[in-house]
Amino acid sequence: MIKPLIIIVVVSLSMLSGCGDKPIAEHMPTCKGSPSFVKRIAGFSAAKSYFSTSEIKRMGLVLVENDGSPRYYQHPSWKAAGWLSPIQLDVAGNVFTAPAPFINVHDNPVTKQNTVYKVDATTGEMSEFMQLPLPDSLNGNNPYGILGLLYYCEGNILYASSIAGSDRHTERGSIYAIDLKTKKIIDRLPAIDAIGMGITYVTGERRLFFGTGRNSSVYSIAIRSDGTFKGKPEVSFSLDGLGLRGDDKVRRIRTDAQGNLIVYGIEFNYNLIAPREKPESVYYFRFDDQGKRWALQSIDSKTTPTE
Amino acid sequence: MRPGRTTESKLCILLLAFLFSGCNNDKAPAVTRLPAYDNDVLQSVLKATDSLQTFPFTAGRVAEIRQALQQPMPVMLCKDSLDASQSLAQIIALNDTRFTHFVRDSVTGEPLRNEIFGVYPARQSDLTTVKEQYDLKNVFRIEMYNYALNGTSIALVDILQQKVLASFFIAQAQPDIPAYLKTLAIRIATESLEVQAALGVKPGEADALMASTKTSLNRSRCERSHHLCVAPTFVKGDKALWAIVDLTDQRLTGVRWTNVGTTGPASPMLTEKRLQDDKITGCYCELDQPLNRNGWDMKYMLTSSDGLRISDVSFNGRPVLRSAKLVDWHVSYSGTDGFGYSDAVGCPYFSQAAVVAWEAPQVSELKDDHDKTVGFTLEQTFRSEGWPTACNYNYRQRYEFYNDGRFRIACASIGRGCGNTGTYRPVFRIAFAGDQNNFYEYNENKWMQWPTERWQQQGSLTSYTTEGFQYKIASPQTGYFIEPGRGQFDDGGRGDFAFVYITKFATGRDEGENDLVTIGPCCNVDYHQGPEKFIEPQPENIENASLVIWYVAQMKNDDRKGNEYCWAESVLKDGVYVTKTYPCFSGPLFIPANR
Repeated sequence: MIKPLIIIVVVSLSMLSGCGDKPIAEHMPTCKGSPSFVKRIAGFSAAKSYFSTSEIKRMGLVLVENDGSPRYYQHPSWKAAGWLSPIQLDVAGNVFTAPAPFINVHDNPVTKQNTVYKVDATTGEMSEFMQLPLPDSLNGNNPYGILGLLYYCEGNILYASSIAGSDRHTERGSIYAIDLKTKKIIDRLPAIDAIGMGITYVTGERRLFFGTGRNSSVYSIAIRSDGTFKGKPEVSFSLDGLGLRGDDKVRRIRTDAQGNLIVYGIEFNYNLIAPREKPESVYYFRFDDQGKRWALQSIDSKTTPTE
Repeated sequence: MRPGRTTESKLCILLLAFLFSGCNNDKAPAVTRLPAYDNDVLQSVLKATDSLQTFPFTAGRVAEIRQALQQPMPVMLCKDSLDASQSLAQIIALNDTRFTHFVRDSVTGEPLRNEIFGVYPARQSDLTTVKEQYDLKNVFRIEMYNYALNGTSIALVDILQQKVLASFFIAQAQPDIPAYLKTLAIRIATESLEVQAALGVKPGEADALMASTKTSLNRSRCERSHHLCVAPTFVKGDKALWAIVDLTDQRLTGVRWTNVGTTGPASPMLTEKRLQDDKITGCYCELDQPLNRNGWDMKYMLTSSDGLRISDVSFNGRPVLRSAKLVDWHVSYSGTDGFGYSDAVGCPYFSQAAVVAWEAPQVSELKDDHDKTVGFTLEQTFRSEGWPTACNYNYRQRYEFYNDGRFRIACASIGRGCGNTGTYRPVFRIAFAGDQNNFYEYNENKWMQWPTERWQQQGSLTSYTTEGFQYKIASPQTGYFIEPGRGQFDDGGRGDFAFVYITKFATGRDEGENDLVTIGPCCNVDYHQGPEKFIEPQPENIENASLVIWYVAQMKNDDRKGNEYCWAESVLKDGVYVTKTYPCFSGPLFIPANR
């Protein structure tokens, strides 16, 4: 049974971030469940709480209750994987996340950067869910692995984008489609350094949108109801020349109730420049049914706050 | 001159010999090239100039700027021909305090450089929020650029009612530039030696395409300096030479060729940052560059996370160093327990660097007080984009090589960091050549050998020779005294208070010979800076061995007026903000024992 929409507002802003990113509330699709363990945390109001991986000076996953003055909760296991990045909840309220280094790799060894972690909805304990394949070419010049997670409700699929092993000359990243029930990779889109992902319907077709670390294009590929990919990725639109910097990469894609795409763009060059230096622009795109193309509606530029 | 003296005023930048020789900063050409390298990137030119007065023909404009800043309303008026209505609109706007809100610094009241770029008939779409009655034909849109804030003030003026209907300020936005600035940009480009060298001929002003930032071919940005930039472009055959011109500083930022295609995707916009990052990456991040000068011979390259690395260093044919590099910067803040950062410095693309190389390595002559050349330096700057604002960093790495065989390995923080309670601890790794080295400490008036790996901290009880030497590293063939910083190098340094570690190098065991990941945490205040992990728990014998010196200086920052150290601040100069720096240099000097 799908639980009613309740407590948790999920923050998944910390990709390439950690400290300094201001959480943005994301309305949770109805299929995403509520972790029951939150109710047992003494003194925490579930309705006012959210998960974050971008709290200043707090490594790992944090549950934040913000009713004017923030309060924090961290299960002892939530720091074990170092600095974390994306957060996604599944229908049962399990929380999925993945590591991403923050400023340095002291707490984030490269060999663990392709690991998906799961916080059990009932116990609140975080453990390794699965390790995505690590390329032979893993190198210290690229400190990143998984940078994006996206839960596809209808298929109970977790999409994970990883850029592990890529270098300046070769794109070795992949998007993995993971069946959460069987814990198996059911499909893979190879040779693409995807970062932010989002799903929406275009002319009746379900499509996965994503941006890459290589350029400002936003690609899309059709997905079947079981979550597997159909066809090949194609460029849907681009952020090139837009915004303050003109060469933003897609950090995250959100879909609103009308199916419009809200694209979060930042500078990204496969290094560990502190996120506070990365002002973010938000690009609003609407699909023009007549022109059969995505049209930019507006750009909202903001600066990530510093401590 | 005191050995080691390297005040910035004594550094004479070489005549950009590298401009026309591909990657290499020195006269010798680059040795090899990876197949994937884009030749246009390798041949691009980065220009480093920080003076407003860059060409004789800009003198008049500089004088106009300075004169305008002296006026009660410190704004340069639009120099394009305006009719009476436009002129009136301009005057009305400048009498509106909302429009002129940003013409002065909000704290000090000092004038900021502002210039009216255009006075245009307003469009209906400009007036969507205006509720007052107006007749569109009487309304003008006035655009004023603020060079200091890199923003644009806009006023919508009704000349019939003689009032401003609306006014607003757009941060980080630049209006279309007026015709006279286009002309100036093109002239800066055509008069620049770098452009002429690239084209093989001095171009005429008519050879440049549109200089406006709004054209499809030559939009550009100076997103790092936040300056007003345009890109006059010169087409030659199937290639286009972009000349990025900075109209805030009135100088050329750099040049690069791009392909002009008639089909396929358009080339990405070339900007200041892309020009710099591509050049640095293509030339210095994946290939060693040779450097041969004054008896010194070495290779250098930018690493992923260990700064500017030199290797195979020899002097007059005798090996000196296997390598030297800057592994980490540990920055801790005493005001907050355990708060700080462990920063790596390195390449801009595909690296573990948190603070990246900002410009190409610079080779400069080193001169004494009598202007005599006594050696040369190899220097690299690493910067955060937002420096010198809070929580952004600027690190400098400097190698000094003297004609008499001395050398110094130094670095500096130039602030500004996250507060005034910061302590910087740069971690140097210095691997000496040879496998029969021994290490000695000066103590109780004699040299005492260290038999095993160990560490030591420079402190108030440390013994030095009369020359100021604390250690000695010696082999049967050669040897060097080591003189730590105690504020004697006349570079602003106030003493290193360094931790020194000696470890044994062993083939087949990587203890930092390759690029090191972050070696230690930010905030340890004792010897646990990282190198100790190669010593403990069982120190090895280091007699007649290949040795590595780890040198971790400690510099406490200071923002008190007159005492600034490891610090930087923005000050106004000619109406724009420039950075005043207070570097804290540290690092040991090595003196040949047989000198």
